[in-house]
Amino acid sequence: MTTSLCGYPGDRDEALVTYLYDDGGADAGERALFDAHVESCARCRDDLDALRGVRTQLARWSPPEPKFGMAAPQSAIRSPQSVWWRAVPAWAQVAAALLFVGISAGIANLDVRYDQSGLSVRTGWRSPARDARPGGQGSLNVVQGPAGVAQGSPMTRGSAVAPGTASSASAPWRADLVALERQLRTEFRSTQTSAAASAQPQPARTIGDAEVIRRVRALLDESEKRQQSELALRVAEVMREVNAQRQADLVKIDRTLGTVQNNLGVEVLKNRQQLNQMNLLYRASQRQ
Amino acid sequence: MTWTDEELVARSIGGDSDSFNELVLRWERPIYALAYRTIGREEDARDVCQETFLRAFRALPGFRGQAKFSSWLYRIALNLCRDWVRRERRTPVVQPPEDVDLMELAAAAEPSESIEDLVARKDLARVVERAMALLPEEQRTAIVLKEYHGLTFQEIAELVGCPLSTVKTRLYQGLTVLRRELAKNNKATL
Repeated sequence: MTTSLCGYPGDRDEALVTYLYDDGGADAGERALFDAHVESCARCRDDLDALRGVRTQLARWSPPEPKFGMAAPQSAIRSPQSVWWRAVPAWAQVAAALLFVGISAGIANLDVRYDQSGLSVRTGWRSPARDARPGGQGSLNVVQGPAGVAQGSPMTRGSAVAPGTASSASAPWRADLVALERQLRTEFRSTQTSAAASAQPQPARTIGDAEVIRRVRALLDESEKRQQSELALRVAEVMREVNAQRQADLVKIDRTLGTVQNNLGVEVLKNRQQLNQMNLLYRASQRQ
Repeated sequence: MTWTDEELVARSIGGDSDSFNELVLRWERPIYALAYRTIGREEDARDVCQETFLRAFRALPGFRGQAKFSSWLYRIALNLCRDWVRRERRTPVVQPPEDVDLMELAAAAEPSESIEDLVARKDLARVVERAMALLPEEQRTAIVLKEYHGLTFQEIAELVGCPLSTVKTRLYQGLTVLRRELAKNNKATL
């Protein structure tokens, strides 16, 4: 038995395996170097031949035919019908929740008024027809007097609702909500259609989602800004009404005071005249 | 139209159970073969295969696509095989098949293959199985992934979590042991 020495400069075992499998991971220069080495090295040549023989034998080993018909466990996977909402993206669910809250607020019919009865904040499930009816059901009122102290007692419900009260139908944010609702319905429809058809490639859907998310966010931001400016407007309007009412009250009080003072002055004058007349009568009687 | 693994994964995450079934059909045999060649028991290999897909299904929403789906699946299967070996506290043994049934073999024979050739082929497969069973787990895993699943050195290194050079060394050492064992058998049959 003869054993020849190998003078390969690098890691021979690694180089041999890399050369044997040649999976493209080896550097071309390294491979050429080992190629040249194999030409001149009998030991490496023998090893390579033997390992190739091992690989040939390994190829004859196949596992027994599996006896399974494995598939996705149906119990673990909910049916598409039961999980339709899972196909709706999270952003759409959040937007739907916001829409719901907005509509609820609209139906709740928030109404802030300041009139002769004072400041009133009211909300409730009511229709305009019910509003006009005194003592309508389900309306919550908080009444403040001119001094700003919350009285907390139920007030005459119909009296606080004036014809100019902003109704839910005419609320400016309603248009935004309607637009958002339409947008969402369109998106839901397209999402469900794509899920049913299962024909749209995933990357395209991802891009679509990103675009839709961006649009909805923009829509929400715009709606939020409008609502904020509307709220500021409403607050300013209420403040203006409060001031106007206060001025009117002051003028009224002033007038009342003036009237009272006038009346008092007249009374004083009358009393004085009566006293003078009495004095005159008294003096006349003494002379007699 | 043929979907890629990644597309099927995305659709499965979206709730499309058919897409996951497609992934199972596509990968059940390679995963079963990997499990069988690693732990060497048909029944247990089937269990490992089943469990691999169950775990994959549960973990699917967390799959970010950083690795190939197949690599991710292989990692799950290999971890399960490792758990199996630890649980069983023994070196995995490739069970030799029961006594060869000539009638069964005849039914399975290729038209051009004689019974003698078939028996010889089965015998050789048994020899390989026995030789593989002698290898340490790391060497066997490296050879199985390279030889039967065609993974690159780099993919194996990432899968088993060791340096590239270690993978090559394990392959060389494993192949050397196999060479010796197979040579023994060749001498014995001469």
